[in-house]
Amino acid sequence: MITDARVLVVEDDDTLRETLAEVLLDEGYDVRVAGHGREALGVLTTWVPEVIVLDLMMPEMDAFEFRRHQRDHELAPEARVMILSAARDLEGAAENIRADAWLAKPFNLTEMLDAVDRLVGDSAA
Amino acid sequence: MSATAQDPAPEQDEFPGVPQLRGEVAFRLLVDAVQDYAIFLLDPQGHVLTWNRGAERIKGYSADEIIGQHFSVFYVPEEREAGRPMRLLGLAAEHGRYEDEGWRVRRDGTRFWADVILTALRDDDGTPYAYAKITRDLTERRAAEEQQRALLIEQRARTAAEEALLARDRFLSIAAHELKTPVASLQLSAESLVRARDADRMDDERLSTGLQRMTKAAERLGDLVRELLDVSRLSAERAPLVLKPTDLAAVIRDVLARFEEQGEMHRIRFAGPVALWIPGDVARLDQVVTNLVDNAMKYSPDETPIEVELGTRDGTAVLEVRDRGIGLDEATVGRIFEPFGRAENAEHIQGMGLGLYISQQIVSRHGGTISADPRPDGAGAVFRVTLPGAEESAE
Repeated sequence: MITDARVLVVEDDDTLRETLAEVLLDEGYDVRVAGHGREALGVLTTWVPEVIVLDLMMPEMDAFEFRRHQRDHELAPEARVMILSAARDLEGAAENIRADAWLAKPFNLTEMLDAVDRLVGDSAA
Repeated sequence: MSATAQDPAPEQDEFPGVPQLRGEVAFRLLVDAVQDYAIFLLDPQGHVLTWNRGAERIKGYSADEIIGQHFSVFYVPEEREAGRPMRLLGLAAEHGRYEDEGWRVRRDGTRFWADVILTALRDDDGTPYAYAKITRDLTERRAAEEQQRALLIEQRARTAAEEALLARDRFLSIAAHELKTPVASLQLSAESLVRARDADRMDDERLSTGLQRMTKAAERLGDLVRELLDVSRLSAERAPLVLKPTDLAAVIRDVLARFEEQGEMHRIRFAGPVALWIPGDVARLDQVVTNLVDNAMKYSPDETPIEVELGTRDGTAVLEVRDRGIGLDEATVGRIFEPFGRAENAEHIQGMGLGLYISQQIVSRHGGTISADPRPDGAGAVFRVTLPGAEESAE
């Protein structure tokens, strides 16, 4: 694992967002959080993560719109994206917004950390 | 006596080349040859005078057996005892003609569904001297009709069942989706505590935060499950309403007091009578008021006022909850009380979108109505509940 890799967590559920941030911090990642897409875009203007952990459905701006803006403004274009969602067709959604990985809610901690670890490795490669 | 109501047929050959069809003989042969209709005459008292092949086929009596018998033998015992046969003769005498459909009895006791036309044959002074009776066996047609009807009912039932199944699938799919996020929170929080302990990173603060998060997620799960159960119980009408004289004004004040405890009362303004009595279920009405106020809170910015107003109109209690929130468009107004029917512009507000549906179920089971409209100035929404049987108390 590459320490100090940067991860942005974009999730509207407070509890889940805080917990995700905490466990990622424990693993040595540099973590920032956002409650929705618009807030996440704001973070990306000054900070470029290797990985974005992204909820699909969020208030203000959902994952689809967020990705469009991100591409249009070339914000963190190299970042790997992992979708977290309870939606049904996650594979389809992942393809749709060009995400690199997806994880269906609920998921376990190890699964999530492994996935982030892999994406960080990919991004370094 | 003549077998026809018309003038006697002329004696000369009417059907050139067919001497057998001379005069009345032609009509007798015609009537006798008909197999699909029982055609016969009754005397004014109802005794059988003539009989044709159709009558024999349909009713099972030969001419020898039935001529001279009273025609009430064709009727089912209940109708015979109730005097229906003679009543029908009376109606035919009165109106000239009477048509009837119903069960009749064959010689062997079996029943058939008959279409019967009774025609009175009258003297110059109008007195009936006989009745012509034409009976058709409609048993098969009736059976076919009934089969068709049964088929139609079955088809409708099947369509309704299929629709209910689709609605249930949709409901379950959305419910599962909503439940997964708090489950994910709960699982992740618990696992992160275990992981922290295993890595020797556990301290009081971490433990306390983790437990708080788990509690919050569990509470959220509990709320969602309660909503789901409410919906399923209300839609199956299994939840009995206990309608007792209820002071709606007091119910509203109780609900608002709870919001005050949560520190949210500063936004709410209540106007209404000291007491307003209606026949109602206290717990369920509390739920309706809570849902409406909660809804107004959720869908309007902090610090904007929420007005709750209670009054009466023509013996009906009228409750209005007005907010200054995101408002309602036309498409939403029609859908907002459907399960999961929350507004397009509210897609991401937490909750399952069942509160208004539950409220509507409760209100309609009180015999009342619930409606939602945009405020006339467009800024916000007005929810209006009416409940019948109101008595305002001036105490």
